[in-house]
Amino acid sequence: MQWKLFANLAEIAGERTISLAIDSDATVGDALDALLERHPSLSDEVLVADGELHDHINLLINGTNIHSLSGLETSIEPDDELALFPPVSGG
Amino acid sequence: MHTLSVIGPGSIDVIDAVADRLDGRVAVIEWSSDSENTAVEDTRYLVHADGTWSGQGEKTTLDRLLDQLSTTHEYALLSGTTRARVPTIVIGDKTAIESGTVIETVPDADSVDSSAVAESIKEYEPYITLATLIEQVKATPGAERSGAIATFTGRVRAKDSDDDSPTESLTFEKYDGVAEARMEKIESELAAREGVFSVTMHHRVGRIEDGEDIVFVVVLAGHRTEAFRTVEDGINRLKDEVPIFKKEVTTDEEFWVHDRSS
Repeated sequence: MQWKLFANLAEIAGERTISLAIDSDATVGDALDALLERHPSLSDEVLVADGELHDHINLLINGTNIHSLSGLETSIEPDDELALFPPVSGG
Repeated sequence: MHTLSVIGPGSIDVIDAVADRLDGRVAVIEWSSDSENTAVEDTRYLVHADGTWSGQGEKTTLDRLLDQLSTTHEYALLSGTTRARVPTIVIGDKTAIESGTVIETVPDADSVDSSAVAESIKEYEPYITLATLIEQVKATPGAERSGAIATFTGRVRAKDSDDDSPTESLTFEKYDGVAEARMEKIESELAAREGVFSVTMHHRVGRIEDGEDIVFVVVLAGHRTEAFRTVEDGINRLKDEVPIFKKEVTTDEEFWVHDRSS
C-alpha cells in the first residue's frame, strides 16, 4: 500500500509518498503503526494519549474518510492509497 | 490557457518551434529590456487589410497581458521572461531566473526537443483567471435562461489589521486527484439546485504573492438570490471539504495556517 502525507506531516516525515508492504489481512491501523514505526516523530502530531487518532487529523483510504468506513479497523488491499493530513486550509 | 516560458540565449527560436507544434490559438509574448515606444499617443495599432494587426502601447504588465489572453487563447508562450507558477525552460545559466517553475535546464537552444515540450505543456497547471471561468459558464446549457452570474475571488491579504506583520506570500499544496474530485462533487451538488445552471471553481497552487488571486467560484443562475447564496456556499464548502493546505510567509516568520487557527 501507499501512504501520502501532506503539509506539516510531510515536512516532519521528510517524505510525501511512502510505499509499505502489508500482510493480506492488514487494517488501516496496521498501516498506521507501520508508518509511525518508520517516522516516530509523527506520533505526537497524529495520536492522542490512548493511541487514537487526533480529532483534527484526517485519514483517507482511496479518497474516503475512514470515519465513514470502519475507522482504524477498515481492512486494506495491497494497491490502496492511504492519506494522512491536518485540517484543510484552502481559500 | 496553458503557458510555457523559455529564458536564455535563443529562447525565441525555441518558442517559435514549440508554437509550430501546437494546435489551437497560440499567443507569443517576447520580452525586451529596451524601451522602443516611439508613439506620441498612449496606444497605436497598425491594422492590415486582411485583419492582421501590430501595435504598441504604454504601460502594460505581463499579468495584465496574460489575463487578457486567457479568455481567447489556448496557449501563451513567453520568451525571455517568466513569472510565478509558469513552467519554465532555462537555457544556460539557471541563476538568471527569479520566478517561474523551472521544468528543465539545458546548455543551449539546440538541446530542446520542441515536440516533446509541446506535448508536455498540458501536464502543468493551466493559467486560469476569473474571466476564463465566466466565459466557461456563459457557454454552458442554460445560459439563455440565466439572468445572473455571481463570483467570488479569494486573494492574498497583506494585513488583517494595522499592527499585523505583512504577509509576503502563501504557498498552497493540494491532494492531487482527491481535491479535484471533491471540488467536482461540490460543483455538481450546487448546480443541481433549483434555478442554478452552472457552478465552476478553481484553486491555484504553489507560491502566491501578496495581492494575487488564490481561488475563484463562479455561479450561473436564473436570478441574483440563488446566485449569491450559491457562491457563498461554494466557497464555504471548498474551504471545509477540499484537501488543500496553506503555508503563510510573513516578514517575520513562516507557518502552516491550520496550526494557528486550531
